[in-house]
Amino acid sequence: MKCSLCGLEFKEEEGASHCRGCPLARSCLLVRCPGCGYEVPLEPKFLKSFKKWRKKINETKR
Amino acid sequence: MRTQELVIVGSPNVGKSVIFNLLTKRYVTVSNYPGTTVEVMRGKARIEENEFEIVDTPGMYSLCPITEEERVSRSILLREKARIVLQVIDAKNLERMLSLTLQLIEAGLPLVLDLNFMDEAEKLGMKIDIVSLEAKIGIPVVATVATQGIGISLLKRRLVQYSKRGARSIKYDRIIDSSIEQLEDLLKREYPISRRSIVTLLLQGDPEIESLVRLKEGDNYPFIKKILQEIRKQYSHPMNYVLGLYRQKQASQIADLVVLPSSSGKVGPGERLSRWMMNPFTGLPIALLVLFGLYEFVGVLGAQISVDFLEIIVFGGYINPFVTEIVRRIIPWLFLQNLFVGEYGIITLGIRYAIAIILPIVATFFLAFSVIEDTGYLPRLAMFVDRFFKKIGLNGRAVIPIVLGFGCDTMATITTRTLETKRERIIASFLLALAIPCSAQLGVILALLAGKPKSFAIWAGVVALVFFLIGYLASRLLPGERPLFYMDVPPLRWPKLSNILSKTYTRVEWYFKEILPIFVLASILIWAGKITGLFDLVIRGLGPLVQAIGLPDEVAPVFLYGFFRRDFGAAGLFDLTRGGGLSGVQLVVAVVTLTLFIPCIAQLSITIKERGLKTGLVMVAFIFPFAFLVGFLLNLAFNLLGVKL
Repeated sequence: MKCSLCGLEFKEEEGASHCRGCPLARSCLLVRCPGCGYEVPLEPKFLKSFKKWRKKINETKR
Repeated sequence: MRTQELVIVGSPNVGKSVIFNLLTKRYVTVSNYPGTTVEVMRGKARIEENEFEIVDTPGMYSLCPITEEERVSRSILLREKARIVLQVIDAKNLERMLSLTLQLIEAGLPLVLDLNFMDEAEKLGMKIDIVSLEAKIGIPVVATVATQGIGISLLKRRLVQYSKRGARSIKYDRIIDSSIEQLEDLLKREYPISRRSIVTLLLQGDPEIESLVRLKEGDNYPFIKKILQEIRKQYSHPMNYVLGLYRQKQASQIADLVVLPSSSGKVGPGERLSRWMMNPFTGLPIALLVLFGLYEFVGVLGAQISVDFLEIIVFGGYINPFVTEIVRRIIPWLFLQNLFVGEYGIITLGIRYAIAIILPIVATFFLAFSVIEDTGYLPRLAMFVDRFFKKIGLNGRAVIPIVLGFGCDTMATITTRTLETKRERIIASFLLALAIPCSAQLGVILALLAGKPKSFAIWAGVVALVFFLIGYLASRLLPGERPLFYMDVPPLRWPKLSNILSKTYTRVEWYFKEILPIFVLASILIWAGKITGLFDLVIRGLGPLVQAIGLPDEVAPVFLYGFFRRDFGAAGLFDLTRGGGLSGVQLVVAVVTLTLFIPCIAQLSITIKERGLKTGLVMVAFIFPFAFLVGFLLNLAFNLLGVKL
């Protein structure tokens, strides 16, 4: 993932590790940038699958 | 053969992990640093017959840590006695990042400097004289483009050939330099970093270093502490600010000498625009232009076209009459019918507010926000407002929670825990509770004031004035330290349609999942309150206050809604306005008062959790009457001046 505020690239798990102690963390769909704290909503699964599928198609074409 | 330890350090987002991966192609382990949840990567590498254990540390901006990540990185530097410390910096931000380099050199660490992202620096017209930089700071310097593997062979060679030599040390003023020398002599024990660095960290009030020195020096410590206090007394600013300024000044001097003007001497249009966005004079009109664009877009597309369609045609024409008919047929008792349909019913109030009012407005707001976000404007806005925040004593990292507050104030209040001082945490939490509308509330406010630019300007002006005035007064009441602000500014870019659509969809889905149950719950609570008479009691209690600011009694429930959720209150006001219940002047007074009104339940509970019950209640005790006082004064001013909106 890429933070929209500071541009830091990080993994979802790295972002989630910053949410400990937050009472809303269990049901929260946001991921916090480990660099600056800016929050980004988690991408829905179907969008992730769609992006993977598109990437695969593009690679096959090449 | 003995394994040597190599520790990679640097600010976040400078490419440390890419360098780590290029150096270690095998045996990589990831584990939490003992006693923390911060992950540290370790790997092994063989470079020209030399065995290295390489540690990739979390991002750090300074040797005097603020965050847990910085604390872990500093601990690694103090405890692991690395053979080489490799600092990776973003060449584009050489001037700012050299400050940490100077601190690491001052600490006497065996440092090698890697200027990464050289390609991007060159694109910006920067030409860095590596040989000259190496001579100026006295440590090996290598240029790389890690993502393309450029410069990695040279970096490996310099690491293998590394031998420690005399490096440049920072010069402070006469008082500080002589005090440092005096204190250095008083330190009798051995330390993992230079005594000079230990003294500067003591001067900055680093609690971990204070404990270390107290433990090691024993009876000698009270005397050291006394001298430290005497030095601090001679400066009107906190020592981390004073020392930080000296470091930054020398970093700027070095950068001026080693960054050569580009061959063309021209700055590209992107870089020029980027500079304008952060400039104190050109930044303001740009910020106002962006806000106006947001206002027009949300107001016209969200509030007028989409809400009209969903509320009047879909809900008004089909859903409400159909559901009301069905409920009345199935449920014979009026009190139970009211739970689902009627003035405060789950479907006719909660779900209608969520789908017909909030959803279209928030969706258009998120769409516009995604465009702004994708261009890279937000970090520039943060840099721009930082200058003004400094004036009210709210500087440094406080910009981040305040900017985040425009997304969700509850989350932003949690982020205030990353602020260095208690004073900053209290001021930031207070301003978030008072004058920062969350994204949904902001979206609905923009929609409410759509087509009324004068009303919008008055609302924005009053809220901004309250923010700066109260922030200024709060900072005077709570005097304290002023930390420096560091932030990476990624390049400006054209927004990508796929990114924008994906982000908007993701945000709308997240938002909708969060608000729908709360809106339904709020409808149920209002219904229960109506039955028990509690709701009417609260509304009657708010009645005189609402009348005092020149608003009709019908506005009172809006404030109660706002306490459930800020956007729920704004949606109530939107509904009332569309029904023609408010004049132009009343609308502005209501919107200003509602923006300043006490935070929603979620934000209040987090504020109490983070700042303590006493501080939380003091904030509410101030905000509640203050919001109505501002509304009262605004209404009075409108009446006296005969303003018609």
